[in-house]
Amino acid sequence: MNFSRRRFLEYCGVAAGAIGLTPGDLAGLNEALANPSAPEVIWLHGSSCTGCSVSFLNRISDTAPETIVEVVAGAVNLTHHATIMTFAGESCGAVLEHAIKRGNYILVLEGGVPLAFGGHCCITYSYKGEEVTYAAAVSELALHASHVVCAGTCSSFGGIPAAGSNPSRVVSVSEHIGAGTINISGCPVNPNWLVWAVVQLLLGNPVELDEDNRPVALYQQMGGGGGGGGGGTRVWETIHQSCPRKSAYISNRATGFEDTVGKCLVDLGCRGQWTKAKCDSCWNGLEEQANWCIGVNSPCHGCVEPDFPGEQSFFTPYTSGS
Amino acid sequence: MRITASIDPVTRIEGHLKVDVEIDTVDGVQQVVDAHCVGTLFRGFEKIMEGRDPRDAPNITSRICGVCPTSHGMAAAMTLDSAYGVTPPNIGLMMRNLVHGACFLESHILHFYILSLLDYVKGPAMPPWQPGWDTGRRIDATTEARLQGNYLKALEMRRKCHEMGAIYGGKLPHTPAFIAGGFTAVSTAQNITDFQVLLTEIGDFVEGTLLPDVELVAALYPDYFSIGKGYGNLMSYGVFEQSGGPLFTPGLIEDGVAGVQELEVSRISEQVTYSWYDDITNDKHPSVGETVPEYPKDAGYSWLKAPRYDGTNFECGPLARMKVNGDYAGDVSVMDRHIARSQEAFKLISAMQVWLGAVADGGSGYTPFTLPTTGNGVGLTEAPRGALAHWIDVADSKVSNYQVVTPTCWNCSPRDSAGNRGPLEEALVGTPVAKVDQPVEVLRVIHSVDPCLDCATHVMRPDRKGKVYIIDRSGTRIENE
Repeated sequence: MNFSRRRFLEYCGVAAGAIGLTPGDLAGLNEALANPSAPEVIWLHGSSCTGCSVSFLNRISDTAPETIVEVVAGAVNLTHHATIMTFAGESCGAVLEHAIKRGNYILVLEGGVPLAFGGHCCITYSYKGEEVTYAAAVSELALHASHVVCAGTCSSFGGIPAAGSNPSRVVSVSEHIGAGTINISGCPVNPNWLVWAVVQLLLGNPVELDEDNRPVALYQQMGGGGGGGGGGTRVWETIHQSCPRKSAYISNRATGFEDTVGKCLVDLGCRGQWTKAKCDSCWNGLEEQANWCIGVNSPCHGCVEPDFPGEQSFFTPYTSGS
Repeated sequence: MRITASIDPVTRIEGHLKVDVEIDTVDGVQQVVDAHCVGTLFRGFEKIMEGRDPRDAPNITSRICGVCPTSHGMAAAMTLDSAYGVTPPNIGLMMRNLVHGACFLESHILHFYILSLLDYVKGPAMPPWQPGWDTGRRIDATTEARLQGNYLKALEMRRKCHEMGAIYGGKLPHTPAFIAGGFTAVSTAQNITDFQVLLTEIGDFVEGTLLPDVELVAALYPDYFSIGKGYGNLMSYGVFEQSGGPLFTPGLIEDGVAGVQELEVSRISEQVTYSWYDDITNDKHPSVGETVPEYPKDAGYSWLKAPRYDGTNFECGPLARMKVNGDYAGDVSVMDRHIARSQEAFKLISAMQVWLGAVADGGSGYTPFTLPTTGNGVGLTEAPRGALAHWIDVADSKVSNYQVVTPTCWNCSPRDSAGNRGPLEEALVGTPVAKVDQPVEVLRVIHSVDPCLDCATHVMRPDRKGKVYIIDRSGTRIENE
C-alpha cells in the first residue's frame, strides 16, 4: 500500500471543484503539508466512549480525503491519538510536552471534562511520575493550541455523561477552559463533518460558527429553497423540514413501532423538529447509499443538540424547552 | 534489581487504563513478578439511567462504549424484554443478531490489526505510528510491508463492517434500532442485496487475510503460546439467540477440571476492597449491590470493581466463548486468544448468512406490548470482548435502579478481598521483558484480552434503601422483605 501527502494532494486536485477548493486553497494546502512543521493534530480522550474515534475511523467520502487511510496517512499530521498510535506510557507525555513547546497544533477533544474527585475520575496520562488528569491536560494543551475542536456532543456540550444527576460532574470543554471551541457535535461525531472542519483549519479558511459554536456550513440547512450564495435571509432548517417523510406529518403518523414504514415518527418521540443537522443519508457510507436513524424507522433523538439527552423519554412526543 | 514500570496510558485499547508491573530477574530471566491494573475513568452511567423512561436504556447505555455499542444495546433490549415480559418476533431477533454480528466483526478486525499487530510489527513510517516501541526483529522486511498493507486494508474492512451493520442499524456507532420488544428496521430486498455484498467481501477478508495473518504471527511468536495464561478459568454467558439454541452456549471451564460447567448467575459477586468504593458495599451480587465512590481510599487503586464467581477469578472473551462452545481445542495464552478470536470471526460469517436468510421476507421486527409500571429484568449477552450483563428495576414507570457488569470488569479487575490478583494481573506475571523502558511484551499480554475501559469504569448505583432480594439459580430475583 502506497500513500503519501503527495497522493492526498493529487486527490484534492482532482476533486477540488467538488469540495469547494479554489486554486489558491490548493496552493496553500500544498505549502502547508509540504512544510515539515505542518500543524500537528493532537487527539485526546476524556469522559468519552471512544465512539467518536470509531466514527472518525469510519470516514468515507467521494471528496478528498476519501478514506481514513487518506486522512491519517496523507492529510493530517496526527501525532497523538491513543486508539491508534503505536507508543504508550511515558512516550505519550513526551509527545505532548514536545507539542506544547512547538505550539500551534489543532487540539481535538473527545469526551467532556469530569471534575469530581479533583478530576481524578479521568486520568489521561502519567509523566515523570505524576498523574495528569484530563481536566489538567485540557487546560494546558488548549493554551498552546491554534484551535480547539470538540469531536462529538460530550466535549461540545457535556452529553450523556453529564445527564441526570451528573455523577462525575462533567462539563463541556468550553465551560472548563472558559473560551470558545469549535463544536462538531453528534453522538457520535459524523466523521465527514469532523474531517471537513480540520481541513478548513489547516487551510486557514475562516469557519463561521452558529450560536452553539458549530460550523454554520455543517449544521445549518438553508431555508426558503435558497441554495446558498448569500443575499437572502438565513433561516434555520431542521431535520424535520428536510425529512423525506415530512409530508406524512399531517396525516400519516406512526402510532407504534409495529407499523412505521414511510410514516412520520413524531408521536414516537422524534426530535427532528428541534434538531439542526444535515443528517439525511450521511452515516456509514457514501451519499445516496448511506443510512440514518429515520431511515430505519427510528425517531431522531437530537444527538447533535446542546440539551441532548435531556430528561424526557426518547419514546414520548418531545416538548421543546421543558 | 526489582523495578516498577508504569504504563499510563496503555494505548490501542478503548478507554483509560494504567498498568503497573514489577520486573525482576528470576532464574536468569528478566520478567514481570507482579502487576496492578488501574482503571482510570469513572462515569456513573447507572446513576444517569436513574429516573428515566426504562425504554431509553438501549440508547443511553449504548453510549457506555463506542466500540461495543450494540453489545449494550442488545443487553439493555434483552433486559427490557425480560422486565416487560415481551418476546420480539424472530425477524427482530435476527436483525439484532445481524447488527450485533457486524459489530463483532468490526471489533475483531480492529482488535487484531489496529490494536494488537503493532506489538509485533513496525507501523508505517509516520505519525501516529512513529515513534514506535522496539518490537524485535522476528519478521522480515517483505512480510512486514505486507502486514502493514493489511493493517491499512483492515481499517477499511472494519469500516465496511459498520456500513453493513448500519443497513439495519441506521448509524454506527450508536444505533437507535435496538428497542424493547424488538427492532425498528424493516428489511427490504435492496437491504438484503447490500448486506450480502458486504458480508461476502468481509468474509473473504476474514478467511483470506485475517486468519492467515494471525497464524503467521502465531508461528513467528510460538513463545506466546506459553505466555499470559493467568488462572485459566473461562466464562461465557452465551450469545446470538437463534432457533435451535444460541450460537454460543453459556458455561464455565475451570482450569484443571474436565468439561464445561453450568453457569449460575446468582453466584456472581463484586468485591471492592481494592477499588475506590466504600467497603460497606463489598461482596454483593450485582443486582443488589451498591456503589458508593470513595476517593482517595488507602487500599484502593482502581475505579474497577472485582467481580468473582463463587469467589473465583474468571476470564471472558472469544477464547472463553469458543472453548465453552467446544469450537476451540487449544489452551489459554496470548496467541490462543488471538487465534480463537479470528476463528470466531470466521464462524460468525456463516451464522450471519443464515440470519440474513431469515429476514428476507421483511415484515415488522417488533412486538407491541403494554408498559407495566413496575418490574425487574436481567439481560445476559456477550460483547466482542466477553460477558456482559444488565439489570433493571422499574418503579412508577421509571428506572429505580440500573446495573451493568462488563467483560473488562472481569478481565482487568483489581485484586479481590482475598488479595488474589485479577485475571489480567495474574496473566502478566511471568512475562519476560527485554527492555524495561519499552516493555512491549507487557502490551502483548494486555492487548490479548482486548480491554475496554470505557465499558468497565462506569459503575455506580444509588443506595438500595434496605431492599433485599433472593436470587434463584436462574438469576431471577425474588424480592424478600
